[in-house]
Parts: sequence; C-alpha cells; structure tokens
Amino acid sequence: MDLFIIFISAAIVNNFVLAYFLGICPFIGVSNKTSSAVSMGMATTFVMVITAIVSWLLFNLLLVPYELEFLQIPSFILVIASLVQFVEMFIKKVSQPLYRALGIFLPLITTNCAILGLALFISMREYSFIESVFFGVGAGAGFTLALTIMAGIREELELANVPASFKGAPITLIVAGILALAFMGFAGMI
Amino acid sequence: MVKQVPLSKEFLKGLWEQNPIFKQVLGMCPTLAVTVSAINGIAMALATTFVLVTASLLISTIRKLIPNQVRIAAYIVIIATFVTIVDLVMKAKFPELSKALGPFIPLIVVNCIILGRQEAFASKNTPFRALLDALGMGAGFFIALVSLGGIREIIGSRTFLGIQILPDAFEPWLIMILPAGAFLTLGLMLGFANMYTDRKKRIEKESLIEQYKRVSKVEISMAQEGI
Amino acid sequence: MNNVVKMILTLSIIGVVSGGLLSRIDNWADPLIAANQKAQTEEAIFKVQPEAQNYEPVNIAGIEAYKVSDASNNPLGYSLVYSGNGFQGKIRLMIGLTSDLEKITALEILEQVETPGLGTKVTEDPFRNQFKGLETLPQINWVKGINPSHPNEIQAITGATISSKAVVAIMNVGILKMRKLQKEGKI
Repeated sequence: MDLFIIFISAAIVNNFVLAYFLGICPFIGVSNKTSSAVSMGMATTFVMVITAIVSWLLFNLLLVPYELEFLQIPSFILVIASLVQFVEMFIKKVSQPLYRALGIFLPLITTNCAILGLALFISMREYSFIESVFFGVGAGAGFTLALTIMAGIREELELANVPASFKGAPITLIVAGILALAFMGFAGMI
Repeated sequence: MVKQVPLSKEFLKGLWEQNPIFKQVLGMCPTLAVTVSAINGIAMALATTFVLVTASLLISTIRKLIPNQVRIAAYIVIIATFVTIVDLVMKAKFPELSKALGPFIPLIVVNCIILGRQEAFASKNTPFRALLDALGMGAGFFIALVSLGGIREIIGSRTFLGIQILPDAFEPWLIMILPAGAFLTLGLMLGFANMYTDRKKRIEKESLIEQYKRVSKVEISMAQEGI
Repeated sequence: MNNVVKMILTLSIIGVVSGGLLSRIDNWADPLIAANQKAQTEEAIFKVQPEAQNYEPVNIAGIEAYKVSDASNNPLGYSLVYSGNGFQGKIRLMIGLTSDLEKITALEILEQVETPGLGTKVTEDPFRNQFKGLETLPQINWVKGINPSHPNEIQAITGATISSKAVVAIMNVGILKMRKLQKEGKI
C-alpha cells in the first residue's frame, strides 16, 4: 500500500514537472510533438529507474557507512553522467531500432535536473531500496505524462492564433500553469 | 583574432541583452520553484551567483591545463564542489533559508546557466573577462528572480520582503504562490519582455526605412536636377 | 598515450582537491548543523510545554518523545513528535501532553507541505490555540461550521478541512501509541 502511495504521489499528486518544477528544460524543449515526447519520456523513465537503483546503492552502501554524505552532490552527478553515457553505448550495441528511437534524447538527460532531483529526494527522504525503485518508476511515469499532455496541447496550439511575442516559451509556460492548476485536482488523493 | 568587446559590455550584456532567464530561457527549475517570495529569490540568486563566479574564475584560470576530452567532467566536478560548499554553509549559518530552498540548492549543479557559461565563455576567455561575464549573468539572474519573486509575493501574500504593502481589503491571489502561479507569471513576463524587444526592433526598423526614404528622395531630386 | 595519462591525471587532481576541500568544510559545518537541528527541536519541545525547564529523550518502539520536567525535576508530561499524511504530503507535529496523557498542553507543526494559504492555516495561531487544554479522551474530534461543544472537540478550518482532519488523525494515532506504551509501563 505504501509503495502504491509513493508511486501515485510521484506520478500524479506531486508531479515532478508540474509541482516540483524538475525537468523544465526538456519539458519546454521537446514537447513539440507527441511522438518525440513519448520517446523522451520513455528514455527518461529508463534512466530514472537505473539512477534510483544506483544512487540508492551508492548512498547507502558507500557514502553513509564511510560518513561521506557531503560528497553526495559530486558523486551523484558523476554517476548520472557516466550512467547516461553507458546506457547510450549499451543500447547502441544491443538494439539499433531502440537506439534510433531514444538515442538523440539520451545526452539531453544528463542535464535534466529531474534525474539529480530524484537521487537527492531518495537520500533525503530515506527511502528503502524497493521504495526507491517505485519512486523512480512513478517519477518517470509522471514526467512522461506531463510531457505527452503538453505535446498534445502544443500540437493544437500550432493552429491557434497566438500573439507573436508569446509564441514558444511564454505560451508553453502559461499552458503549463493551467495544467498545474488541473493537476491540483489530484491533491488529497493520498 | 583579437576580441574587441569592451570590458563594460561583458558585464552589461547579462543584465538584459543576454539575460539568462528572459532572453536565453535557461535555468528554469530554480527560477520557478523558489520564487514564492522575494527573499527566497534573493537567496537563490546569490547562491547561484557565488557558484557561477567562483567556478568561472577557477575554470578560466586553469582552462589551458584541462584536456579537451574531459573538460565537461572536470567542469561538473568543480561546479559540484562549489555547490556543496554553498549548501553546507547555508545549512550551518542560515538554517531557515536552507529549509525554505530545500533541495534546490544542490540542484544548482544542473542549472544550465552555470555549465553553459563555462562552456561558452569561461573556457575561452581570461579570468578577468570571465569574472565580469559571471557577475553580469548573476546580476541578470538576480533581477529576474527578484522581480518574479516580488510580483508573486506582493499579489500572493500582500507582502514584499515580509512587510505588508497591500491593504487588508485586498484579497491575496492564492494561485500566485502555488506552482501554477509560477508558470503563469513567468510566461506572462517572458511574453511581455518579447513584446518590448519586438516593438523596439520595429521602431528601429521603421526609422531606418524612413531615413532610407529620405536619402533616396534627395538622391532622386538631385538626379532630376541633373547634378 | 600521453594524452590519456594527462586526462586521468587532471581528473584525479581535481577530484582529490575537491574531496579534500569538502571534507575540511564539512568538518567545520557538521557540528554547526547538528547544533541548529538540536536547537530547533529543543525550541519546539519547550514551546509545547511552556512550564518545562528540562527534558530527556524517550526512544522506545520507534517513537520520538521527550519527557519534560520543571526546574525542581517534577515531571510535567511529554513532548511527542509524530508524523503522518496530510493533504499533499507528510505533516510532522510536536504534541505537548500532560503526564496522564489526558490533556494537550500545546501543538506545534514542525513540517508540512500543505496548500499555501489554505492548508497552511493549520500552522497559524487561531487553529493551533484550539488544542491548548484540549481533552484527549476518548479521542480528539473535529466539527465543521459550528462551534465545538465538547471539551475534546476542535473546529476544522473552512477550506482546509482535509488538512485539519489530518492533523487530528495524526494526533490521535500518536497519543494512542503513547497510551499503549504507558499501559505497558514502558514510559
């Protein structure tokens, strides 16, 4: 039950993008087309789950026993950067179609603050290993959801008569505000 | 190729022309998340500026020693080190602020403004120019965060820097201090900033056309008079 | 080959310098951070027990509580830290209780992430002051829209009923656990 709450909380109620403002850069940059939004979401979710596992292991098996918690920021960011590189090489070797679908999005993920945010939340909230995995899956699902909805709206916006100065980032932010308002309706579910 | 950019320009460009928030649309996460009040905006901007300035100074000083292939990794480690310093100092000396900013201090590491300035500027310029650039970008970030935080605080909780400035009769707009308010306010601010720039550009263009017309009229009349 | 050596060397130097610097600063900051946290907890312990002068921690069965006493060491009651789910996330409370656990002395909200302007009203005086002297038997109840008519009732905040209910529920669970421990003679 608790695991389910963690999942729902990360995916919907406290959505990473719309409530915590994590991962805004790709949210504004990649949410033009539904298809690329879904691919980006999948790639991010994939990296998030692996990050959740690796950062939990790193924090609880290495940093805490040796009282090196103050090294968590540099070590997390390095692990994430090398992880993304490794995942990219691995996918390239194993599956060409998957690489073609996700490949170009992977380098972008290193600078996605949602990933580092995830790792920091896991150590801050003292999640257990299995809770961390669920948290990672939930956060990824929430990111994919927000990105896909946003892409759907932006495809429609293409046809709308937006004032010239508001095209691009401004209107995207305003739409995100309305979306965040809509997602507030989920508050109180947990 | 010698750069002819005047030193003052290295600083001033960050304020408006290349303002990291309004013009480059970088570093959105901390901007949106912490600006429920002006004081949070100030703290976040100062912390980010500190990291930006120290990292830029150090990286521009040792830029020739870092091999090109590992430069990003080196930058990240340097930035992460300075961020940890800020985080520890804030926790030790300003526990209240550190609590309010929550996990967003550590997240300065992935603020694209910082890595972006290292890659685009500090790695190619002298320490002095890098310092000016970092200070300018930091100041631009400061302006954006304080204005966004100020607007949200004034309308959302009737106060500015904790001092009530709107009368009790004004019902505060709760939405302004909710996440949704952050998106809406920043969206509108960006839009109006664009509108201002577009208008200025149009006026400049029109005056240019006007000038050109006048000049060509003179030329035509001169030609007609057979000069 | 030369280049690879240089790459590894540069990164190692940066890593070692960074690690060394950080451990220095951490050594300086760690005691200060611990002192801050202790001061915050201490402040809350005494806030919910205005007459208390001393406290000693009770740590049984995963419960964080502090037994407080006055200047001449007469026991006054307990300051109990308990948390649970609110409207949007975790709410952490510091509950002041009399020694027989039948009355509340005061309530402090340590942490919450409720909706600003609505749910956050639970941290404000009008709501919290209702708990001063409130009876905990058989349990704390809440009413909505009307004035409380029993000594164990508080009025929920209009527009923030769920947050108010959550605070009451967390308190009831926490007090129940304390009562059980007291019955077993553990505190």
